[in-house]
Formats: sequence, structure tokens, C-alpha cells
Amino acid sequence: MNTAASAVRTYLIIWGWLAGLMLISVLLSSLPIPRATVILLVLALSSVKALLVALYYMHLKMDRRLLILVALFPFVLITLALGVVFSSAFVRL
Amino acid sequence: MEAQAHAAPASTATGIPNGKLGIWVFLASEVMFFGGLIAAYIVLRSGHPHWPGPEGHLDARLGTLNTLVLICSSTTIVLALAAAKRGAKAAIRRWLLVTVLLGATFLVIKGFEYHAKFSHHILPSTNVFWSCYFVLTGFHALHVLGGIAFNLVVLAWTFDPVSWSARGHRLELAGLYWHFVDIVWIFLFPLLYLL
Repeated sequence: MNTAASAVRTYLIIWGWLAGLMLISVLLSSLPIPRATVILLVLALSSVKALLVALYYMHLKMDRRLLILVALFPFVLITLALGVVFSSAFVRL
Repeated sequence: MEAQAHAAPASTATGIPNGKLGIWVFLASEVMFFGGLIAAYIVLRSGHPHWPGPEGHLDARLGTLNTLVLICSSTTIVLALAAAKRGAKAAIRRWLLVTVLLGATFLVIKGFEYHAKFSHHILPSTNVFWSCYFVLTGFHALHVLGGIAFNLVVLAWTFDPVSWSARGHRLELAGLYWHFVDIVWIFLFPLLYLL
């Protein structure tokens, strides 16, 4: 029962972090700071939120490594695809 | 509190139940799907000096509210799973129902946003930003709808001891799918509403 109560507490703490990070993102986007900095910070915060959901709510932190590999595999493919897309979109030969 | 013993999934070579491995592979394919759409959005946006165009921006307040709704729904479905682990069927039903209602709230808010745009004659054909907006949010909304349906099916199983005993473990799969839908929105919200 203690383990269950501890898990529920963790879920609620993560909810607090997710809501807090979201509000920080909204705040950042309205501050008079350089656009590139805002984009970098807001996307970094989104990545942290996604990681929190994956690790704690989807239980990747406690699950088998195979599932982590399955979850990470598409990101490797996307990185490769984005590399091709961005190189052709922004590099003029 | 009612004791709930549902059938343990058969052991597998990977040590991971087939259903769970299957949903993760499915989610990996979904990452590729949304990854492609989001990458297209970023490339198109980078190539347009005037973005999103003279038709105006989206209402960040509605986007923020919808993000909060989805974050709450991710928490409620994981609380349903925690309730399942301790065998509290009433709590499972309560948290699943709240999750479904939050999902429906998200769609209603999105519906209001769509209606406001349509009434101002802003359509997918208006410009490239609105094409991206309607495609990205439209596909995401369809996934939310699918998640609501999945959650409702699991909720229905809780009322039938035989179904719950045989299929109750699929609550975890419904949760994994729902969290994925939340993660997609975590990226769509800043890209479309904030940046």
C-alpha cells in the first residue's frame, strides 16, 4: 500500500512539473528576449516535459531496456530524415 | 474496494507482454508520422518571412487551457492504472471517466477554435500556415478521439467481471496511447501557438 501511495505521490509531483513548465513556456514566449533564445528554451522545456511523461507516466524508467530502444528508434530515423531535409532546404549548392 | 485479478499475459521471449511490445512498436510508427508532419511545418515556416500571415495568430489562452486539460488527463489515466494495481475498481472507473471527459473537453475547445476560424473564412486553403495548422491539429484531434474510444471500451470492461479478468491488463495499453497523444500536443502547442 505504501508503494502505491508513493507512486500516486510521484504522479502528482510530475503533474506539478508538467503544468509549471508549460506556464514557464507561455511566460517565456511573451518576454522581450531574442527570438532564437525563446525558440531554443521553449523547445527544450517541451522536450523535458515529453521526457517526464515517457519516464514516469509511460513507466520507461522502470521498464525493460528493449522498450526504451523501441521508443528511441524512430527518433534516430527522424534525426537522419531531418538531416537530409534541412541540408537540402537550407544548403544551396 | 473490490479485488481484481486479471489474467496475466502469457510469458514471451522478450519478457515483455506481446500487447505491450506491440503498442510500443505502433507508437514508434506514430512518432514517425507526426515527426514527418512537424518537420514539414518547421521547414515551411523557416522558408516564410511573414508567418503566420495577415490573417493573425492563434489564441494562446485557448491553447494553454487545452494543454493543461491534456496534462491533467495524462495524470488521471495513470491514476486509473495505479488504482488497477491496488484492485480498486471504483477508482479505476472514476479516473477513466474523468480522463474521457477531459479528452472530450479538449475536443470541444478545439471545436470552438475551428468554428471561430471558419466563421472568419480562415480555411486550410487560406495559406500555408493554416494548411499546417488544420492538418497537424486535425490529425491530433482524430488521435484524441481514438484514445477516448479506447478508454471507453476499457471502462465498459470494468463493468463485466469476465471481460475485465481477460482484458483488464489492456488499461496499461490505453494509457500508453493516451500519453503519446499528450506528448504530441506538448510539441504542437508551442510550435503553433507560442513561437
